[in-house]
Amino acid sequence: MNRTASALAILLLAAAGAGLTWFVQHSSAPQIAAEQRLIDSRKLLDVLASDSYDNQPLEQPLPLAAVDLDHSRLLGGYRATRNGQSVAVLLRSQTQGYSGTIELLIAIDPNGRLLGVKTLAQSETPALGGHLGDWPNAWLQRFTGKSRTDPADAGWALKKDQGQFDQMAGATITSRAAIHAIHDALRYFDEHRSILLGSGT
Amino acid sequence: MKNPATLVNSLMLVLLLGATGSLRDALATLLMFTAVIGAYGVSMRPLRLRLTPQSLLLASVILAATLSSCFAILLQRWSLPWQQSVELYIGLIALQCVVLEHNEFFRQALSARLKRCVQFAGLLVLLALLRESIGHGSIGRHLSEHWQGLVLFSAGLPLATITAGGFILLGLLLAACQAWTRPTAPSKESPHP
Repeated sequence: MNRTASALAILLLAAAGAGLTWFVQHSSAPQIAAEQRLIDSRKLLDVLASDSYDNQPLEQPLPLAAVDLDHSRLLGGYRATRNGQSVAVLLRSQTQGYSGTIELLIAIDPNGRLLGVKTLAQSETPALGGHLGDWPNAWLQRFTGKSRTDPADAGWALKKDQGQFDQMAGATITSRAAIHAIHDALRYFDEHRSILLGSGT
Repeated sequence: MKNPATLVNSLMLVLLLGATGSLRDALATLLMFTAVIGAYGVSMRPLRLRLTPQSLLLASVILAATLSSCFAILLQRWSLPWQQSVELYIGLIALQCVVLEHNEFFRQALSARLKRCVQFAGLLVLLALLRESIGHGSIGRHLSEHWQGLVLFSAGLPLATITAGGFILLGLLLAACQAWTRPTAPSKESPHP
């Protein structure tokens, strides 16, 4: 094979390669984008059972007022509904941990009880406070079912601070920050219940 | 490098250390590696007979790039999390194709090529199993959304999950392998009173 034919063959190969890659990319892009969206929302929403709601909570953020709380700051709120009835309010809360900010997603049912808490972002010490980022998380599960009044305000603290919750081993500051953020969110929910749940309930 | 095999092996070392943090990483890498190398070997065969040596190198670069990007997109379409665990090494797999071509790996007998590939796959999976079980105390986490993995013990040794730990484990495995395949060595010294 002479040089010209060889160069032509390479050119053809390059064009075919580029065309094939473009075609595969073009035909797969919508599915990939859909899967990415599904993963993103599942990551945020797996704090709720997947059959407990039937709307797309992330697409309808709630307007929040006075988002600076005692120990934390609310970044956003979402409402999960089923057949038009509110089943949960999700609050994204940011607080200061030991070595950076901690972002929690706190799910509260219409009666003001905690459905679950999930850590969305943290930079705590690995193997100590860093366990806060594990999912599922045994320590955060202990708060499930608690509400603003159960336990009373004094109980919403570590045992070390005369409260009623155990801390994560070796991570007092992280544990304290998480408890205060959860309590803040429950208090916020109680104070803004009608706005958060919508006029329907 | 003087010995071309050294380059191939050192490229393999990156995959062996980088992609064995968990069983899912190793299986995703293996899947990509098998698909790209297999398709490359098949589609390069007709070109090898017809092209001049200079243009063959160019053709191998184009082909490796095309195949690796197509398979990466297809893997992404099939499962995004699996693609994310091999994302970093896709370019390296394409480079490996070109280096293997340059090394005349594809001109060897099929059985010799298969033997090399099986050895590499076995080592990759073994290292991933060891690192995940020692590091996390479980096997097969993240393999599927519906399965939490096989829990062996509750707390793992985090050293095994980082690259340095992988390097140490690989060294131990090689030492064990050498000790295993040299059973006659001590008998030479045994006649001494």
